[in-house]
Amino acid sequence: MPYHQFKCSECIPERLQHAVDKGVDEDLTSALPLGYLNTIPGTISERGCAYCGAKHVIGTPMKNVIHLSHGPVGCTYDTWQTKRYISDDGNFQLKYTFASDVKESNVVFGAEKMLKKNIIEAFKAFPQIHNMNIYSTCATALIGDDINAVAEEVMEEMPGKKIFVCNSPGFAGPSQSGGHHKINLQFLNQWVGTGEPEIYSKYVINYIGEYNIQGDQEIMRDYFYRMGIQILATFTGNGRFDDLRCLHKAHLNVLECARSAEYICDELRVRYGIPRMDIDGFGFEATADSLRKIGYFFGIEDKAEQIIAEEYARWKPELDWYAARLQGVKMCLWPGGSKLWHWAHMLKTEIGINVVSVYTKFGHQGDMEKGVSRCEPGALAIDDPNELEGLEAMYELKPDLIMTGKRPGEVAKKIRVPYLNVHGYHNGPYKGFEGWVRLARDIYNCVYSPAHSLVHLDISKDEIPTDKGFVTRQMLSDVNLSDEIKNSTELRECTSDYDPIPRLRKKLEENLYTFPDPETGEWRQVPLEKLKKNKVVDVE
Amino acid sequence: MSCELKAKDRVGTINPIFTCQPAGAQYASIGIKDCIGLVHGGQGCVMFVRLTMSQHFKESFELASSSVHEDAAVFGALHRVEQGVDVLLMRYPDLKVIPIITTCSTEVIGDDVDGVVQKLEAGLLKEKYAGREVHLIPIHTPSFVGSQISGYDVAVKAIVEHFATKSDKTNGKINLLTGWVNPADVTELKSLLAAMEVDATVLFDIETFDSPIMPDGNHVSHGETTIADLQSTANAIGTIALNKYEGAKAAKYLENEFEVPAIIGPTPIGIRNTDTFLANVKKMSGKAIPQSLVRKRGIALDAIADVSHMFLAGKKVAIYGNPDLVIGLAEYCIDLEMEPVLLLLGDDNGTYNADPRIKALKEGVGFEMEIVTNADFWELEDRIKNKGLKLDLILGHSKGRFVAIDNNIPMVRLGYPVYDRAGGFRHPVVGYDGAIWLAEEMANTIFTDMEYKHNKEWVLNVW
Amino acid sequence: MDKNVAEEKMAQLEWYISKHCLWQYNSRGWDRLIQNERILTKTKQVLRGENAKDDDTTADRYYWSEAMSLAGAFKRYFPWITETSKDDIAQILDLLKERMDFTMVKGSLNQELIKQQY
Repeated sequence: MPYHQFKCSECIPERLQHAVDKGVDEDLTSALPLGYLNTIPGTISERGCAYCGAKHVIGTPMKNVIHLSHGPVGCTYDTWQTKRYISDDGNFQLKYTFASDVKESNVVFGAEKMLKKNIIEAFKAFPQIHNMNIYSTCATALIGDDINAVAEEVMEEMPGKKIFVCNSPGFAGPSQSGGHHKINLQFLNQWVGTGEPEIYSKYVINYIGEYNIQGDQEIMRDYFYRMGIQILATFTGNGRFDDLRCLHKAHLNVLECARSAEYICDELRVRYGIPRMDIDGFGFEATADSLRKIGYFFGIEDKAEQIIAEEYARWKPELDWYAARLQGVKMCLWPGGSKLWHWAHMLKTEIGINVVSVYTKFGHQGDMEKGVSRCEPGALAIDDPNELEGLEAMYELKPDLIMTGKRPGEVAKKIRVPYLNVHGYHNGPYKGFEGWVRLARDIYNCVYSPAHSLVHLDISKDEIPTDKGFVTRQMLSDVNLSDEIKNSTELRECTSDYDPIPRLRKKLEENLYTFPDPETGEWRQVPLEKLKKNKVVDVE
Repeated sequence: MSCELKAKDRVGTINPIFTCQPAGAQYASIGIKDCIGLVHGGQGCVMFVRLTMSQHFKESFELASSSVHEDAAVFGALHRVEQGVDVLLMRYPDLKVIPIITTCSTEVIGDDVDGVVQKLEAGLLKEKYAGREVHLIPIHTPSFVGSQISGYDVAVKAIVEHFATKSDKTNGKINLLTGWVNPADVTELKSLLAAMEVDATVLFDIETFDSPIMPDGNHVSHGETTIADLQSTANAIGTIALNKYEGAKAAKYLENEFEVPAIIGPTPIGIRNTDTFLANVKKMSGKAIPQSLVRKRGIALDAIADVSHMFLAGKKVAIYGNPDLVIGLAEYCIDLEMEPVLLLLGDDNGTYNADPRIKALKEGVGFEMEIVTNADFWELEDRIKNKGLKLDLILGHSKGRFVAIDNNIPMVRLGYPVYDRAGGFRHPVVGYDGAIWLAEEMANTIFTDMEYKHNKEWVLNVW
Repeated sequence: MDKNVAEEKMAQLEWYISKHCLWQYNSRGWDRLIQNERILTKTKQVLRGENAKDDDTTADRYYWSEAMSLAGAFKRYFPWITETSKDDIAQILDLLKERMDFTMVKGSLNQELIKQQY
């Protein structure tokens, strides 16, 4: 096994098996780091906890839900406003967060009574909201509060209110991934199957593992709607609680982020016979292949091909403008759990990026299998990286940029490596064809930042160039570019709006989509109300 | 006309103003040189606190976790502290100070952190790290007690208590306990003391948290308060703790234990409180206030004269955040002829009613004013949306941004954390420089709002 | 077809799958074996011009969709496929399945594959 020995980690031998250099002849039977094991204390790992994995990552993107954490106030405060999962109905999930605010007396005498008061207060403060997710935390799990019983009591007393209880305290697992698993299965067990949706298309999917970061879901929703596909529910970005109760009624589960949501797909497959189809919404070819596959499933390949043709015509010249200028750019692709594999190969083939390292903070070996497969020989793959290893890798690999989270981005900045936010994105959405152009644009702006080009100059020692008052990005990026590309009239820079989502929402408002009637197959419009808020009837 | 102090009457929290104790202890720990705090709890207790700090400072710095996992709930997690300390010491050769900061989980399971520190001192440190100076400092900050504020206070005291060592002679310095401030505040405080030629030990000196990108090297932000600084706090001529709720415990400890006289407060926000601060420094050090500060103060008064009675007078303000900051800002706003009609303090500290500044507000203000303790953002929003509260300005940190945005009320970002405006940490709120920035920033924010709303925006044509 | 030639061709197909396909990565070993078997069998049938479509269950339909997509991609990436005889395609695809079963399950280093539950 081609383990990578970090100098800084020689003193902790158990770290050795968590980093691998992918050699030319390596495959997954010879090169795979360990993963999802207990963190070594004091390493300054980047992992979060199972509570944040459940509440912050998976639960909170659900829109129009009161998200209440049962515990001291910190868990709630600290995870609030650190993400960019928007919704198309006013961003309640971003703006409001609720803490039961457990204090010392509650720890001593129990916190169930105060939890009940909390729930009622919250529903009263927001009478228009009927759904609540309650998340346990370390403190309330340890004192053994029976949250489910309290929730049952309130639901009985307040008819029409529905409460999902997620038991995923912070210590429950090596990382946030433990929380993904727990919330998946608990939501399935508590609420899936309790609603009967109105089916208005012949083609019905659930869109799973999609969190609507900066509008990703809405980009993809446009494609699905153009194919006439009803999205029963999105788990969980821009997803409605009521719709999610109907997950069992779809014909197909389209799974985007397997790291966070394969569990619910697998169970839906076992329990309800709904196939799981893993897709990639990042990259032109990957998105096209994904739409094609879905098209085959429903027998609407032609619809998929039409969208692919339209989108390629609209956006490919813009992607290629950047690709021409980003060939050979070295990147460390250091996300949380899924983007290392979603992105690695598409960055290489479609934008020309040389991914020299992949890492995953909370992924499992399954994520690394994909990551190692999809990056090129020579890449360094790291599981559960820590601060010193990240620094050592950057010094060694000398990347032109890293794609990572906000805080590790600050670490990189200090050694003159620019970063792009891979979790919340810089200027996303990044999904779909338009999104991929936006990512290429952001990479370009990052790498060829004229200000960044000044960071290596030591004015006390170096000769200071005095011939320029300014430099443009293109002066830097086009130095070695052929005239053919420089003067191309086909290629063009990104023309996507600062925020492309209002355009898509307007399109939805204008109700420009048609769907085939489930009975007759006739293509017709569906009342806008159903597209925005499908009717769901309670079933026993 | 009255000022009323009351507690929030709901049990729960809708949009919290404060986080919990360990965050405050972590904020204190970053001020010490050659120090990495080890938070004993779940990983989120560090990861998110560190994320928020990095959002605020836009800097790189270090904090570690003992990474408590599932087995700890049954078996305890002290072995993870032992391993965490060892791993940190092995990999960070300059590391000398490790505050071990507890959380709700490890306090509930009853981990004996003090015991494990003794064990480590007698074992690991003696055997493996003989000859290396290492300080392990237990800091007890269960999340279900107090708030980030008491966490900061507890941590400063624990750190001072660990280090302070009496020697024969005084060090001739003043201990300056800044409380929870920004790098620019430290710069301003240092410059005031330098002008008076007063030597001070600053707890904690986080000035370098505004750190550069250099042509080479790695400029990770670290506090600059050294072990020697901390040890000599017992030999100072006196201690000035600027904030009653953030650092006063340590000041009192030094007074009781080592007879280092302590002056608590006032938070030097605004001209009047800065004057008092300088008077206290003068009293303690015997140094005169120089002409340069008379001039600096004059520049601040000049700036205030430009904006106060024409633009700020009568403006109704809500202020939330750390109590000393909020009270200091309220006092200054009143001097600027504004009306701080609502103060929101995010914790349930039972001693607020005994705070002389709050008593003075109750006795002195000539407008309707509410001070809400244990407050959350719903106390603010509900008043605006449902109870007719009219505001011209909101002062506070970024977590309250949507109250301002959704209700079209201009807001000046102040305190911690500020992540939705660039460079928040670069502006002082204390001292004369702070007074200038605050007055002008409030005025400019109101000006921008006048323009957006076309509300007498033409007034500024001839200002 | 000579075994070495077939292996070389198989390696090209395996490369494509490793870079593009997510169906091979289901989290449990037994699950992966089923995926390999169903999808690669149907892909073989599609490439050989046989009927691979049976709509008995939505699961079948799903495997067929993956197979159609994969067969299409193989043809785009590897023009030699259209000129390869049915027997040779069977040989290559059988090798491919054997190979995939090995790298993804039997020879896999992924320690989570043996878990029984999701």
